[in-house]
Amino acid sequence: MKRSRTVFIAIVGIAIIIVGVALALRTTGRERPLVVIPKGPIQVRILTALPVEPWVRQAAERFNQENHRLEGERIQVEIIATDGLTALGKYDRNEFGALDADTDPAQLSPEQQQALTRFPTAWIPDSRYLPELANTAYKERLGRDVFLTDGEYRARPVALSLSVWGIYQSRADVLDQTFGDINWQVVHDAATNKGGWPALGGNPDWGFFKLVVPDPRKNVGGLSAMIAAAGEYYDRPSISTADITNPEFQQWLGELLAATTDLSGASAYTAEDFALFGYSVGDGGLLLESDLLNNMQGIKNRWGEALSIRYPSYVTWFDFPMTIWIGPETSALQKNAALEFERYLLSADTQRQAISYGLRPVSAEISVTDSADSPFVQWADQGVAAIVPRTSAMRSPDRDVLQTLLRWFELNVAS
Amino acid sequence: MTKPSSGLSLRRVLIAVIAGIVLLCIACIGLFAVIGAYSNRSAPSTEPPAAYDPQSATLTLAYSPEKAELIQELVDAFNQSKQRTSDRRTMSVQLLEMPPDQMVQAALGDEPGFQALSPDASLWLDLLDLQWAEAHRGAADELAPRRIADSARYAVSPIVIAAWPEVAQSLVGADQRIGWADLQARATSDPDFRWSHASTSYASGMLATLAEFYAGAGKTRGLTAADVTAQDTLDTVQALERSVSFYGDNEAVAMQFMSEKGRNFLDALVVQEALVVQHNLAGLDPLVAIYPREGTLWEDHPLALLDDPRVTDNQRRTFQALADFLRQPEQQALILARGFRPADLNIPIDGPDSPLTAANGVDAREPQTTLQMPGPSVVQVVQNVWVYTKRPSNVYLVVDTSGSMRGAKMENVRTALLSFIAQIQGTEDRLGMVEFSGYVTNIIPLQTITPEYRQTLRSEIAALDARGDTALLDAVRSAYVRLQQENDSGRINAIVAMTDGLENASATSLRQLRREIEQQNRTGVRVILFTIAYGEDADLDTLRTLAEASGGQLRTGDPETIRELYRLLSQYF
Repeated sequence: MKRSRTVFIAIVGIAIIIVGVALALRTTGRERPLVVIPKGPIQVRILTALPVEPWVRQAAERFNQENHRLEGERIQVEIIATDGLTALGKYDRNEFGALDADTDPAQLSPEQQQALTRFPTAWIPDSRYLPELANTAYKERLGRDVFLTDGEYRARPVALSLSVWGIYQSRADVLDQTFGDINWQVVHDAATNKGGWPALGGNPDWGFFKLVVPDPRKNVGGLSAMIAAAGEYYDRPSISTADITNPEFQQWLGELLAATTDLSGASAYTAEDFALFGYSVGDGGLLLESDLLNNMQGIKNRWGEALSIRYPSYVTWFDFPMTIWIGPETSALQKNAALEFERYLLSADTQRQAISYGLRPVSAEISVTDSADSPFVQWADQGVAAIVPRTSAMRSPDRDVLQTLLRWFELNVAS
Repeated sequence: MTKPSSGLSLRRVLIAVIAGIVLLCIACIGLFAVIGAYSNRSAPSTEPPAAYDPQSATLTLAYSPEKAELIQELVDAFNQSKQRTSDRRTMSVQLLEMPPDQMVQAALGDEPGFQALSPDASLWLDLLDLQWAEAHRGAADELAPRRIADSARYAVSPIVIAAWPEVAQSLVGADQRIGWADLQARATSDPDFRWSHASTSYASGMLATLAEFYAGAGKTRGLTAADVTAQDTLDTVQALERSVSFYGDNEAVAMQFMSEKGRNFLDALVVQEALVVQHNLAGLDPLVAIYPREGTLWEDHPLALLDDPRVTDNQRRTFQALADFLRQPEQQALILARGFRPADLNIPIDGPDSPLTAANGVDAREPQTTLQMPGPSVVQVVQNVWVYTKRPSNVYLVVDTSGSMRGAKMENVRTALLSFIAQIQGTEDRLGMVEFSGYVTNIIPLQTITPEYRQTLRSEIAALDARGDTALLDAVRSAYVRLQQENDSGRINAIVAMTDGLENASATSLRQLRREIEQQNRTGVRVILFTIAYGEDADLDTLRTLAEASGGQLRTGDPETIRELYRLLSQYF
């Protein structure tokens, strides 16, 4: 009897201890400090331009799964889709919270340190001139560049693409027949024709000629389209502010852009929109080759005909440079982890995968036509060229040209 | 004798102790599992999170009501998939229904109450970006800040004119197609033609109105603010708007009533294509979708994430996961089955499984062209000017002040009536009020809503006192007779009658009143009755009979919803 009581008390005692310890652990777990500096994987956050985002995101998922390590810590890459101009605006306004030149990161409060965990480690914009423009703003503020043009952390292109004409085949046939060619002037004449498609020799149901160009406030492609149009208008690859403010040019460009269907569309007018809404919103437009190739099959599925691809005489190349933030807001480990991922993107395998997204590899050794599945092979009959025909590349605009064009667009087209 | 039992007993004790510990551990684990499950249970789906949690993976998504069923189904499936963030938080989405223009206003504030939004069309996002940039831009040469961080699409649907086949046939023009111009010509020349579109708070209402402004300006593209405000344009638009039967609170509700009431209710309604498909899939009297010759617009139902520092990394991940989830084949197939066009272009919309067929009144190869959507500042002008061109109304509010309305019920009705009055913005609209309990206790005749009259109404509403029986029929008849005496067919004539109880004191019988309404609506002025059954004891049969006799609607409300109900009904006028 006595023994039984002892056993009973022992069991109850042990149980109380177990429950007590477990509850104590639970309670301790709950009372976390307000700010926790994350431990574990090295976080690499990369702002990524929209045209390469699907490819980079897929590469990041693979990279994360492969468990890459640096100094014993696992690297975790996170992709944040952001248009190049939007990202530039955020850097300009310092929305990411870059520290002042005289701030010592070691002296930051835990809350400030926590806020810095969201600071982007790297940026893959659409074109290399965007980080150069960001540098201008930071040079004024900090007295130094934040993105380097040489050295270990310099900007390196990870893929290539260019702006091309994509026009519904039925519409392209009519334009060819009427004008004999497709270029900015032809598009201008078609767009300003008061009789619309019937007057151009097309189907009356098609309505007016509808142009598709990305919205330059939301998509760098829109800006490059306007610059390419200016290049053809002036017949030279370099455009100045004076060229943009020329009233005759402005009238010509205004007439051209008045042919866009949705001047208030919140989307950036990517090729996906073009595919989703078909010829109802646009008969043709100047869009990124990779975007068009990515959506070509979908366009054919949904609207029953593919696009005819044409290369303009003045083109804008997009080189999607990966550029690493060199300020103290991110650690050396994060910067080097970003470099690891950059090497991964530049590896032959990942570069080959870029082709299936309609992108051109940066390495000249990898041909876009090596595989029968390549969109460059699949859509060759629609005019896609493995080697870009002889064209002039437009030079990168300076900040004044960019701002003048955007301001003109806002006041005269999009308002 | 040895004591073998002693050794055995010790073993037993040990075994018992170990077994006891094991059992207790199992019990503890079970207990923790129960506690854990209870503490992880998700909050009610319509409430936003109570406090800001920097690690929160719960995304609140504001959506517009024309896709309520679809989005609820999709979000339920997403929540059931129980995806987790890298820090093991369960991702979840809470829904918040809101008209698109209200989403814009809310998102312009510091605490919108949601992190993501899915209005009916992208035009609202651009309006939001424009107004955000105006409010937050520094120097003029600064790149404009945006309120939208990311956006994706999962379903689209073109806006069409839904009509009965014989109505569509009668509208066909010389070129065998139908345009906005044909609809407008018919609406202004045939007094019996009944058509409707939503208010400009919705994309379909905006399109219908834009088409009118284009027609008024004699243009097919390049509409400017000067065109919109030109007197000739305003006159044309006003003439067209006078032919509108009523403005619904949203296209889905209007479509539901068109489906239920059939041909006598409306001849044509401007809605998204998906609603025509859903109507026809339900096996009802078929409708056809007309894709206007001059062009249409798309309801592209964007899914957008706000660019806001309070949006957590996990909420952004939930947004991305939701966007990816909605693009998966299973969800895209569901979207197609509900009559929307899926965003995944690999899914054929003219395949054997697609409901987008001629049998369902639609054509997957249409539309051929779209109407040019002007810039957001012109859109804003259209919205502002429309209020002054829309068909004016004569509305009687019939208010139950019987004894059962005492207390919180009456208080909620007072607030609801005040919100109704505040929503009526037209300078030509006229409002009256009939107050009843056991008899008609007070009548305020119709008057144009001036600031002074608004104040009078507010005072009258504040003085409403609940007592006595319920003479609903006498009160409704009183308002009805007055509207017939006005004989003002140029306006929308309507009665909004609310009661929480059973009719028990009227001299008029339901049969008499019903007959009078049916007869007078045919021979005199058409008066529509919107009846509100307030609470569980309301006389549904009587209210339904009255609404149906006039081609109107019965709505049900309770103290929590009555304010929103009156706000919604205000959009009909």
